[in-house]
This record gives sequence, structure tokens and C-alpha cells, in this order.
Amino acid sequence: MAQVLSVDHLSISFGGLRAVDDLSFHIDRHEIYGLIGPNGAGKTTVFNCITQFYKPDAGEIRFTDQKGKEHLLNGMPAHKIIGLGLVRTFQNTEIIRELPIIDNVLLGAHTEFRAGTLANMFAMPWARKQERELRKKAMDVLTYVGLDKIANEYAGAQPYGVLKLIELGRTLMCDPSLIILDEPAGGLNDSETERLTELIRGIARDRHCAILLVEHDMKLVMALCDRICAISFGKKLAEGTAAEIQQNPLVQDAYLGKEDDA
Amino acid sequence: MRLIRNKYLQYLLVGVAFLLPVIIRGVPTATVTLAASMVYTAIAALGINVLLGYSGQISLGHAAFMGLSAYLSAYLTKQMELPFLLSVLIAVLVPMLIGLILGAIAVRLEGFYLAIATLGFGEILRQLFIEMDWFTGGFSGASATYPKMFGHQFTKVEMYIFMVCLLVALMMLVYNLVRSSTGRAMIAMKSSKTAAMAMGVNVFQYKLISFAISSVFAGLAGVCYVHFFRHVDPTVWTAALSLNLIAIVVIGGAATVGGAVVGAVVMHGLPELMKGMPIVGEIPGVPLLIVGILMVIMLIFYPRGLIHIPRDIANFFQKRASHAKKGEV
Repeated sequence: MAQVLSVDHLSISFGGLRAVDDLSFHIDRHEIYGLIGPNGAGKTTVFNCITQFYKPDAGEIRFTDQKGKEHLLNGMPAHKIIGLGLVRTFQNTEIIRELPIIDNVLLGAHTEFRAGTLANMFAMPWARKQERELRKKAMDVLTYVGLDKIANEYAGAQPYGVLKLIELGRTLMCDPSLIILDEPAGGLNDSETERLTELIRGIARDRHCAILLVEHDMKLVMALCDRICAISFGKKLAEGTAAEIQQNPLVQDAYLGKEDDA
Repeated sequence: MRLIRNKYLQYLLVGVAFLLPVIIRGVPTATVTLAASMVYTAIAALGINVLLGYSGQISLGHAAFMGLSAYLSAYLTKQMELPFLLSVLIAVLVPMLIGLILGAIAVRLEGFYLAIATLGFGEILRQLFIEMDWFTGGFSGASATYPKMFGHQFTKVEMYIFMVCLLVALMMLVYNLVRSSTGRAMIAMKSSKTAAMAMGVNVFQYKLISFAISSVFAGLAGVCYVHFFRHVDPTVWTAALSLNLIAIVVIGGAATVGGAVVGAVVMHGLPELMKGMPIVGEIPGVPLLIVGILMVIMLIFYPRGLIHIPRDIANFFQKRASHAKKGEV
């Protein structure tokens, strides 16, 4: 089975605390893969290691791009990652508040722009043409996520649910082969979550890309994910389908059981 | 109304407005000199706006860049007798290179630390202006002439017209820049470095770009200064001028093209206006005191900058008009 991402023996510590401890997993092409675990289990840290915002202490992260070429991500500058077709969202959304929604989405195509500073300063016709083309693509993306009507409104004035959709739309601009979603449903209400579930499923199907997500909303995780990996204190507890994970006693102890108590 | 929304036309109109003192007969030369101060400051502030307003980087050293270019251009045209345009090119490229060094520093230092580092940088340059008197003329300064271009010797008025044309052209270039992928990346870097990096923005590269652009603009402003006033000495290029540029950007409207111009006009025009007032203008020190108070008031009520006032007024009337319409229905 062709893999898009493989994480081997990943470890990272912060001042003696092992946030991620010898974690290994892989994601197949077109797969929706869920990473679950109690708060502080190290899920977001795993994401930050993959996207090179953190430099892991040990372990190898490999990514296979659309053309089948394998890249070792370790040590790569964080801004180079998206160019491979690997893109992420953030737990608390990282939106450019002073830009209109459509420009936020256009930022996702930043690496596509060929024009340099001078070409942009002098508004070279070819640079403007590419801007127009990508703007149209951004508009299509906004239509896809249902924000086309407010494309030119400022992102800063939007409610949280819209910000989440902008971030999701922004990931689509680079024609990704893997999207990493950090709590896509965090802070959303039930109907918004339901729409989001459909949207994520649609993205994986229509755009032929794999999705790796962290989520606390178990309904969404169980409904979406082909496979799930449960971690606790940075260690892998279990891996398997939704049903397998739900029945795993270790997971129930560490995670699902605890949630019942609360 | 729609025509006026065209930004290029707006900037041309700004240029025409600046040219009024030389078009209208009988305007005193002091007014042209004041307007020239506004124009060269606006050029430097436009660069600071790219740096501060759009890219979120701070520099307290750009006044020294202006000075460096002024000295360079004076030296190259007078001592080395190079053609004006060639000396301008050199006088602008040197601060750009130094600006790139500051940009590289900015990757390591942020916020207050960057402010202190650039402040130190600027002060070192200013000390050099005083010490290197073979180049700068020391405390007494260096002199320059009105430029000569393509065999034509500029007069004072022509030099002023040249400066206005330069300002208008630079406004257009900045406008093009900020609505392009480069501008988007800068704004992203300022607003969320994390998002910018995740979306492929090389933060190091864009810090260098914004420092380079602002240094070039500061350099052009310095060149304009020295070839208009025909004299340059070290008292002008202090950190106070750097702070003034930042104040201009903030008061005029950060992250807007016109803000730098509005700010420069207000910062230079208001003190003169106050000095011309009856009674208060005649007591020494009082006009500047009033200017200070007015600026505080402006910042309290218009923290986003004066440039937004016309649109807010327009919105106000539009709202009233639409309310009135609803009333009719």
C-alpha cells in the first residue's frame, strides 16, 4: 500500500518531559487517519514535529509527494513543507485578521506565485495575470467551503466557525496530498460539526488527498477516520479502526473512561 | 465618484495638490520649502510604512540611512563629479545593503530588542557623520547643488517638481506591492508568523525585503533632502527623526499607502499652522505644545490613522441615506 506519511520512532522532550515518546505510525494515500488522546497527550506536538515547527530529538518523518518521490522532513525549514503538498491548520486558528477572507485563502497559494518583489512592484502583466488566476481558484475554494458570499469581508470580523472554514479552505490552495487538521471541530456547535464532517469527507474523496486529524469530538473521529491511533503521554496505546479503538481496554482506561468521569 | 476610487488617479491628484504652491503665482518660497519638507518626509515614511505598517518590523535607525544617502549623494556629485542619476543609484544602494544587514539582525531580534539594536546602529552612523569630516564636513556639514540631469540644470522649483513626481511614483509602486503576493506575505508575517510559515512564507526573506525597501526609500528621501536644501549636517539625522517617521505612519494610518503622506503633511503642516495663529502662535513653545496635545487627541480618537476619516464620514452619510430610504418605504 502506498504511503503518504511515515513517522518512525519519533521522540521529543521539553526540559525533561517526554512529550512524544518513540511514536511510530504511517498514513496511506487517500486515508483519513485520526490521532486521539487525552489533553496533553502530545497530539499537537506530533503535528508540530511533522511540519518542522519543532525539531524532534529522534525519529524520522518521511513524506511521499504526488509524484511518488520520498522526502525526509527532518531538518527541513518549516516554510518549505507546504511546497511538498503537506499543509496544516492550527488548533486555535491562525488567521490573518487584517486581510479579506479571499486573501487569507490566497495565502495558501503563496508558494505558487512566480513574481518577485520587483515584478510585483511594477505590476508586471504576467504577475497580475497569475494573481487573477489564483484569485479565481481561491474563489472556487470559497464556493466549495460555502464562504463565497462573504469572500471580500475582513477575516477579523468573522465568527469562529467561519475562521475554521477559512483555514480549511486555505489548505486546499496548494493541491495537497496530505492535510493535517488540528481539532477542526474545536469550538463548533453540533450542526457546524456535522457540516464539517461532510466537508472533510468530501475533500478526501474529491481531491484525492489523505487527512491526518486530531479531534476531541469522538463522534466526528469515529464517523470519519479509516484508522485511528490513540496516544497517551506521548506513547502509542493502540491503533486500528474506530470499532477496534472503542473496544480497546487500554484506550478506554486512558481516554474514553476518563471522559465519562468528567 | 467611481473614477476617484482608482488609486493611481488618487495618487496623481495628491501630486497635483503638492504642485499647487508652484502653480499658483505669488506663493512665498517658504511655502514651497515647507511642502518640500513634507514630500521628502513622506517618501521616507512610505518606506517605514512598508516596514512597520505592513511587515510589523521596527527601526529607529532609518534617519541615519537618510543622512547616509544625503552625504553620499553630496559627495559623489560634488567631490567626484559623478552624474546625478548614477550618484543617486549608489547613494541608495549603500543604505539598501546596510538595510539588508539590519534585516538579518531582525530575524534574531524582535520588538523592543530590534528597536534598541536599530537605534544603536543609527547612532553609530550619526557619530561617523561627525567624525569622518573628509567625507561629511563634520559638524559644519557638506553642501550640494540642485541636480543636473541630461544636460539640464534644475532650479529649486524644478527640483521640487521632481520630488513630487518621485513621491507619486513611489506611492504607485507601494500600492502595487501591497496588493500582490509580496504584500500578502508581509501582512501575514506581521499578523501571524506561524500561519505565514505554514503557508510557505520564508520569514527571513520577507524581513530582508521589507528592510531593503524601507532603506531604499529612506535613501531616496535623503537624496531629495540634500539636493533641495543643498546642505546636510549631522544634527538632522537623529533618532528623533526616526521616531518622527514612525509617528507619521501611525498618525496618518499604518498599512495604508496614503497614510504616510497624510501623516507627513500633518506633522510638518500643523506646527506651521499653529505658529501662524494669532496670540498663541506668538508665544514661543506654545505652538509645539498644542501640536503635541492635538496628536495625543488624534491617537485617542483615531488610533487607526487620519486617512480613515473621509471613508468614515462617507459611511456615516451612506448609513443615514439608507436609513432615510428605509423610512420612505
